[in-house]
Amino acid sequence: MSVNLLQNIVTTLSELEDSGKIKRLVQEALSQGIPVAQIVEAGLRKGLDAIGKKYEHGEYFLSELLFGAALMNDAFEILEPHLKLAGVENKGTIVLGTVRGDMHDIGKNIFGMFAKAAGFDVHDLGVDVEPACFIEKLKETEAEILALSALLTTTRQEMKTIIDQLSHAGIRVKVRVMVGGNAVTKDFAKEIGADYAAIDAVEGVEMCKRWMMEK
Amino acid sequence: MMTPRERIKAVIHFKKPDVLPWSETFYDETTVTWLMQGLPADRVTMIEWVMNSRDGVLLLNWPAVMGFNPWAYFGCTDFFGCKVPIDVGPLPRYKLRVLKTNDRYEELMTETGAVARRIKKGEYMWYNMPMFVEFPVRDRKSWEEYKRRLNPKDPRRYPKDWEKDAYLEVFEKYQAGNTILVFNGFYGFGAEIMGIPTFNLMFYRDPQLMHEIAAYWEDFIVQTIRDAVETLKDRIDMIYWWEDMAEKHGPCVSPKLYREFFLPHYKRVVSFLKKNKIDRIMMDSDGNINPLLDSVIDAGITGIWPLEVNSGMDAIAVKKKYGNKLFLAGNLDKRELAKGGETMRREIDSKVPALKEMGGYIAGADHLIHVEFTLQKFNEYVEYLKKCLPY
Repeated sequence: MSVNLLQNIVTTLSELEDSGKIKRLVQEALSQGIPVAQIVEAGLRKGLDAIGKKYEHGEYFLSELLFGAALMNDAFEILEPHLKLAGVENKGTIVLGTVRGDMHDIGKNIFGMFAKAAGFDVHDLGVDVEPACFIEKLKETEAEILALSALLTTTRQEMKTIIDQLSHAGIRVKVRVMVGGNAVTKDFAKEIGADYAAIDAVEGVEMCKRWMMEK
Repeated sequence: MMTPRERIKAVIHFKKPDVLPWSETFYDETTVTWLMQGLPADRVTMIEWVMNSRDGVLLLNWPAVMGFNPWAYFGCTDFFGCKVPIDVGPLPRYKLRVLKTNDRYEELMTETGAVARRIKKGEYMWYNMPMFVEFPVRDRKSWEEYKRRLNPKDPRRYPKDWEKDAYLEVFEKYQAGNTILVFNGFYGFGAEIMGIPTFNLMFYRDPQLMHEIAAYWEDFIVQTIRDAVETLKDRIDMIYWWEDMAEKHGPCVSPKLYREFFLPHYKRVVSFLKKNKIDRIMMDSDGNINPLLDSVIDAGITGIWPLEVNSGMDAIAVKKKYGNKLFLAGNLDKRELAKGGETMRREIDSKVPALKEMGGYIAGADHLIHVEFTLQKFNEYVEYLKKCLPY
């Protein structure tokens, strides 16, 4: 019964059915006493993974990605009161932000939504973030991943500044650096010493998962 | 020898010109940076005689700098050289004003009703874009309110001096480039009034509202441009249809959503244009638009710009697949061109000769010329490209 219900959650999410249905199913799963961690892992995250795969395969596009993330948020609203006690596993910690001088946030926000939904503890510092703020937050949270976004070719140079400052602060070896945004390419990532350039949010989150599994 | 206009017209109708047309667009800050790098100011600065002051009290003519014209200096054409002067924006405009400010940012109400936060400091003022924190349309209620500013019959949509014969003559005589009518496609329109995330979500959250907005967009565009289109007809060489509906990974809307929400309305707008002998429509969309091209052609769009290489667009591959169903413009990788030397020459050599033979191609960079492109490297590019253009 619980397997069917969880599968139903996966399908409802991945097929982007309506918000009311996903909320009802999550509520029903709670009523049946299915552990919250199981609802999240075997239901919602599996559904989200399916959305990500469809996006990567060109079946879904930005609208579907955004709606999938919105459905996930709707489901988490129901789960919110139970999450703290549920022992849902934290997949890792990410410090995220758009670099100094750049005010773009759409790609960054989508990455943040997907990373959160995938189980990461995400500290989103917003846009136009000073390099020192990234360093400070990384030290404070002991995050394993730093995700930097830049849309403009002029502002992407800030990414190099931040990576240099990580080295000066002596924490470069502890942190994996992912860069993303329209101005960023794989070659550019290599050039500035980043660990990875994500072409989109889904690919970025997949790489974060892989990094955490390697640890 | 053909005029620049004749060259563009030949190419967009898949005929052979004497010289391949070349078109660029420039950020103003690039031009200003180049002035500091040695671009002769007197050759690119546009000076016009204006009444001084403009309140009409002093009847004095005074020369004023009105902008830049790098096109004439470098010998390329400007897509927007001769534009039908119709206002398709919200009327009345929202009052531009500062809403709040601090040491680093200011928040402005823009004329189209969005609230934009931008960096104040000079260092980052240029080559930056604001962050839009609020848009005028969020739901049905705010759409109904906004719609009141989209009255196609508002007399302010046409210039006060809209005198048909005079405009006919102007459009007839213009030869420095193509004549053009500009408006936003439904995606461009929707993203501007709702913002990209809300607009994209609404296809799922409130499809009925989206159908209604799309229908209104169609009617608004056709009614607004009707007088100009029926008057000027094919003296308008090209429609410039702004969308920006794709990102690096692919289009922002799926082909399925495009067919359901866009296609019927696009077909009707295109049919109206075609009835008036305007059958060249160029869509401006950054990003990877490949998955939508079949539907875009079905809608009646006949050309694409800028074909960004960074997003995986490849003009030769598009040409091979679609032939004369699409004319193409751009696709020379701006990042490679800006490096100059062998890298720049390789980029040109790998595309321009092949596309020239395939036909239906306007040469140019795959987006606006940005501020990191130095004058020296741009001159190098111009010199080399020009050698490749004649047939």
